[in-house]
This record gives sequence, C-alpha cells and structure tokens, in this order.
Amino acid sequence: MKFSYRAAALTAVGVLALAACSSTDNDSGADPSSSAATSETGAALAPLLNLGVVDSPGQGGFVAADMSFATKAPYGQAIYDTLVRATPSNLLEPSLATDWGYDTSKTELTLKLRDDVKFTDGTDFNADAAAQNILRFRDGSAENANWLANVADAVAEDAQTLVITLSAPDPALLLNLSRAAGYQQSPASFDSDTPVGSGPYILDETQSVVDASYVFDANPDYWAPDYQHYDEIAMTVFDDPVSMQNALMGDQLDAALFTGYQGFDQIEGAGYTAHEYAQDWEGLLLFDRTGQLSEPMGDVRVRQAINFAIDKEGLLEGLAGGRGEVTTQVFGKETPGYDAELEYAYPYDPEKAKSLLAEAGYADGFTIDFPTVSFVPQATFDLVGQQLAEVGITANFTDIAPQDYFPTMLGGSVALASFRLEQPATAWETYSLELSQGAPWNAFHTPDDTVAGYGETIQTGSDADSAAAAAELNKYIVDQAWFNPWYRTITTFYTDAETDVTPQVGNVYPYLWNIVPVTN
Amino acid sequence: MGRFIARRIVAGISLLFVITSAAYFLLYLSGGDVARNLLGPTATDAQVAAKATELGLDQPLLTRYWDWLSGALTGDFGNSWASRAPVTELLSGRVAVTLTIVVAAVIVSGIGAVILGSLASSRGGWVDRTIQVASLVGAAVPGFLIAMVLVLVVAINLGWFEPTGYINPSTSITGWLSTAVLPITALAVAGVAGVTQQVRGSMLDERRKDYVRTLECRGLSSRTITYQHVLRNASGPALNVLALMFVAMLGGAVVVEQVFSIPGLGKLTVTSTLSSDVPVIMGIVVVTVVLVVILNLLIDLLQAWLNPKVRLS
Repeated sequence: MKFSYRAAALTAVGVLALAACSSTDNDSGADPSSSAATSETGAALAPLLNLGVVDSPGQGGFVAADMSFATKAPYGQAIYDTLVRATPSNLLEPSLATDWGYDTSKTELTLKLRDDVKFTDGTDFNADAAAQNILRFRDGSAENANWLANVADAVAEDAQTLVITLSAPDPALLLNLSRAAGYQQSPASFDSDTPVGSGPYILDETQSVVDASYVFDANPDYWAPDYQHYDEIAMTVFDDPVSMQNALMGDQLDAALFTGYQGFDQIEGAGYTAHEYAQDWEGLLLFDRTGQLSEPMGDVRVRQAINFAIDKEGLLEGLAGGRGEVTTQVFGKETPGYDAELEYAYPYDPEKAKSLLAEAGYADGFTIDFPTVSFVPQATFDLVGQQLAEVGITANFTDIAPQDYFPTMLGGSVALASFRLEQPATAWETYSLELSQGAPWNAFHTPDDTVAGYGETIQTGSDADSAAAAAELNKYIVDQAWFNPWYRTITTFYTDAETDVTPQVGNVYPYLWNIVPVTN
Repeated sequence: MGRFIARRIVAGISLLFVITSAAYFLLYLSGGDVARNLLGPTATDAQVAAKATELGLDQPLLTRYWDWLSGALTGDFGNSWASRAPVTELLSGRVAVTLTIVVAAVIVSGIGAVILGSLASSRGGWVDRTIQVASLVGAAVPGFLIAMVLVLVVAINLGWFEPTGYINPSTSITGWLSTAVLPITALAVAGVAGVTQQVRGSMLDERRKDYVRTLECRGLSSRTITYQHVLRNASGPALNVLALMFVAMLGGAVVVEQVFSIPGLGKLTVTSTLSSDVPVIMGIVVVTVVLVVILNLLIDLLQAWLNPKVRLS
C-alpha cells in the first residue's frame, strides 16, 4: 500500500499549499463593489475568465466516456471531477478518491471514494457510478480509450470502495485516472445530451455556441472550492492562430494557448506574460526499420546518417524562429529515462553522414519516398529535402491529402514522415505510444526483443528498476536511430496581468484549476 | 405571376436535388478514413471500425445517400460527426449570423453604389474619374486583406471595434455594432466597387435615351429625372449584379468569418470541410442552394415590380 502513504503525504503538502493559495485568493479578490460570487468556503470568486482554446470538444462532445484530453482538457475539467488529481508536476493527490493502493501483483487497484459528493443533478457519486464510468471510457470512442486498455473489470465493492482489475500491470493507470479516463459523469445522464458531472463548473448551454464558444457557470455547491476560482468561464475556440493573436491584442482574452510562433513580440508588447514549456518534439519518424518499403532504411547506419545529415539548429531557427530546444531523443525532459547527454548524440555532420552511407553500401546515395501534407509548412520539406540531398539522399516528395495523412503514416504506407509528436509524462506512455511492437507510432510494428525487455521492466519493475530501464531504452532507441528528432517545440500560454498559470507537465493545456486570478 | 413563381420554385427544387446529389457523391470520392481522423492516431483498429459502423460508413454509397436524402426530406439532417450536435441546431444559429452580416453588406453595397454611381454618372469630370479609380481599387483588393487591415488598424490600434467574435443584435445592438461593422465593411468594399460601376454604366446608357431628352424638354429638374426615372430604369442590371454580389459575399464570408472568428456559416464550412463532416457539409450545401434560389426569385419579383416590361415577358 505504498501509494497510500505517498497519497497521505501529498495530501498534507497539498492541503498546506492550497490553504496558502486560498488565503491569498481571499485577499486578491475582485473589486469589492463588483458582483463577484463566493465559493462554498466564502472565498471570493473572480467574476470572469476569458479563455482562448484551440480546439472544440470534438467528436465525443461532452460525453465523459468519449471526451478527448490534451488541448481539450479544459472542457472536461470544467464539468467533471476525476478520481485522482495530478499536481502540475504529476504527483498524485486525492480527488474523488481519498486513498488507493495496488495489490502485490499490481493488477488490482483499490480506491476509497469520498462519501460527500453529489453530481449537479442531485444524485450521489459512489463506487457504482465510478465503476460504470471506468468501463464506459474503456469501451467508448474517446481518442484515449487505450488509457484503460488494461482494465479487465471495475466493480463497486461497497458504496465507497472501487476495485479495478487489470489484465496486466499499468504504470500509467493512476495518472490516466487524473485525466479524461477518470472523468465521472452522473449515470443518470448517460443517455442525455446534457452533461452532468460533479465538477467546479456547469455548462451554460443557452450561452454556448457549439464549436465556437462555451460558457460555464460556477457550480454553487462544489465540494472542492479551492479548485474553483471564477464565477464564470468563457472558452472561445480559435482554429486560426492569427485570430487568436488578434483577440489577445484586442484585450478580449485573459489567457490563451498560442500555437503559432509569429507574433510573440506583439503579444508580449500588449502586456501579456508568456509561460513557455517544451511539450512536443518535431522531426522525422523513421518508420521502416526493417527495410520493408525502403531497403536502405533497414540499416541502422543509414538511419544514423539521416540523423547526422539534418541541421537541427538550422531547422529550429528556420522553422520555429529559434523558439525550441534542439534534441535527439523522444523522451521528454520531465520523463523518467531522459538523458541530457543524449541531446548531442547526432550533431550536424554531413561528412559523417556520407561516410555512414558509404559503409552501408550507399555511397552514391538512394531515393526515398517522402510524404508531404498541407498542414506541415512547405519550408519544412524544402529544408529537409535540401539537407538530405547534400549527403546523397533524394527525397521523392508526394503530397498527401490532410485527411489521409494519419492513415498513411499509421498504416505502414511510408518509410518515413515528418510530424510533431508529444513527449508523454511517463516512460510507460512513451513506450506504449511510440516504441512497443503494438504502439501506434511504431507504424511497421517493428519487433525488437531488447525494446520489449526494457518495456517489461518499466511495466512491472520497482520505481528504481523502471527508471533504469527507461534510461537504457532511451539510449538504445537513440543508438538505433528509430527517430530523427530535431527539436522540442515550445508551447506558449499567455496570461494577462490579472491572471496567472502553472503549466502542466505532460499536457499541452494547463489544468483548469491552475489558471488563477492574480493575488495582490 | 403565380405560374411564374411556381415555375421558379419547381426549377429551384430540381436544382437543389441535382447539386446536393453531386455534392454527396463528390464528398464520398474525397472522403479518406473519416473514422480514423475523428478518433485520432492512438485509437485502436477496433475503435475505428466501431466508429465507422456508428456513422454508417460501412454501408454502400447508395444506401448512405438514400438515408441522408430521406432524412433531409423530413428536415432531419442528422448529427455532426465532429461534434455530435444536430446539424439543424448547428446551422440555425450560424445561418442567422452569416445572413445578418451578408444582408447588411448587400444593403450597404446597394446604397453606397447608388450614391457613388449616380454621382459619377451625373457629375462626370474628376468626380467620375475618382470614383472609377476607387471602384477599381476596391474590386481589386482581396476581402481578406481588407479584413486584416481593419482588424489591425481600426480594432487593435484604434480600439474602436472588437477584433474578433460576434454579439447577437438581440443581446445588444451596440455590442452587435462593435462586432459586425468591420466584417460588414470588409465584405461591402468589393460589393460597392462592383455595383457602382454597373450603376454608373447603366445610368449613362439611360441618360442617352430619348425619354430623358423628352423629360428635360418638359422642364423636369435634373434631380427628378435622375432619381425618379433614370435610376429606376437603370436599376435592373444593377440589381442583377447585386444578386451576384450576395452569392459572392456568401463565399467571401468564409474568409471574413475566419479572420474575425465569427461563428457563422463560413467558419462552419471551413471546420466541417477540414474534418470531413459530411452531414454538416451537406446541410451547408442545402442552405446555400436554398438561399440562392430564394434570392434569385426575390430579384425576379423586384425586377418585375420595377419594370413592367419584365412582368409582361
């Protein structure tokens, strides 16, 4: 039950920290003459948060079992509570679950749940509701339903005890229960179009325009008022970064996630504070590691040559205005297994690339099919094609329709592709998403016993063993040149003078309760 | 007149059927793996297959088309694949937003064009040349560029209007003006430019006709001749151009709504096309065709009211 002790310690720290936050919240408050509401504890809520978002809720709408996360996290976090809560650095805290622990085989997770929480429709939250939500998410159409792929069953042992049985240990399960996989919707609303949760806000459907703007009102009976900071939150969807920039500069937003890299100076000049964090890595995914489509790609020396052939610093400057960090690894800086020394494993060295190609029997170079797509800037393909050509690799560019790009990449139809991938918060997620034989981003499902061995240790080993295996796995993947990362992209979250934020490790959008009114 | 209207309505319905059918089959040809794109790269193949079944993508094309058509005939356009919202609900709010802006832009274009066209044709000289050059410039500059300049200069630098968003006039008239004036202006510039040239040309043609000389001989003032006779007779071609402008502005709204982030039909067109959201795209096609058919009918009726010769023909 080591997680229980950890949770208890974190709870104590969390309570102290939150007590400090809430006391300053009281001081900060809005103008005393304003009509700011108060939370259950009496703390003043700031009147309004205008939030810029880059995505609408998507195909899952507001159905908890079908909701996406990442850029869409604010929607779900407004309405739904999760079973556990993650701090900005992904330490786990109690939320609807107060305590939890695994059995010795790590295949049975028992969670003790709060007994004082009601959904906004007045029905009780209990273990039966939690079990239904877990199974619905596993079986639903959420983009991240695979987060619960190892869940064999979820049952209510009693009203406040939930037991989740796993088909295999899942090191990321608890973290995922702090994300969309842990959203708790009232079972009474499963068949309704109106979302009902127990979260800090309630969707105001009359003020919302589907796919354009969503208005949320504070839940007046919220059980965790320290995580509720505003009387109203308006989320406006901007699918065009220029419009988002205009809205920021026109003082229409208090905070926004900005995805473009042009316009930073103007936005900061307009008085916004930039909170920057590395989130994704951009580069080439060298899918064909066994040479099925392109024989040269099956030779590790050729893949290494591609890594040496690319001028990462040049691409960072040319494609991202210098806003990013050159890298060679797919493990993020906050991910167990990250190795700072690996960042320089493949410096720009065209001569070395030519020499490796010659060693591999391709002294005269070779031609490789290279898919292009309209949502990746053409400059990317121009620069990369030029750099590959300098070492003798000719890129045969073929344009792919945007709607066909994912299926083309994931269906094993191309030997390599240019893309931006997230750097997950945990080594297990990195392994599951990008490296394991079944990983979606291992498009050719390349089998590799060494990778599988490290994966098994990450999955079942102790924390120390898992971290050591992650580091070894990372080094092995870099040595084998499974990818050609260029740089980690910088995500920028802007806040105005009245708003502050703490970014979330492993998620592109900060968690909603970490966007707060500034305390004076 | 009744038969004329009935004939136009039947022609409109036929047009609607032909265009929607063509659109449906074209969308099928360019569909891609919709279920995979909706669910994202990490969805399992089983999830993708289940989604495809849920959306009816595993059905033969003709079955899917018949399902859509039979639903559409009863006013049920289905649910959006991308957001699950009923298509009618998605469209109803957005049609009102776009129509409000486009109709306002058409009215501004009409009024502006009549004023400028009349001035150019009656004054001649430098006034005429200035208006002609301005019209050429207005017609040549793309609408999105005008929209971007308006946002940067008038909204952000001067702070006179909101740079993005839309407030319904039923919520606040001043709020509506603060969000609608710039998009209307961006759309109306090309409209004013195009129709002004037409009004000027038609009025000059009318002025050369015998009845104008007759009226002048009878001692009618130039103002009366211009506004009661010449303008009325010259308005037919101008109305036709204005009707075409309306259709062009519906297209222009796609870009302008994107720049101003207005939740209208244009923005919906962009997002639904990018996500291959067939039910929504088909709903937009139906609405657009219906609007164009109704507009043409209204223009015909207006022409008949203005010019008895049209009524007789």
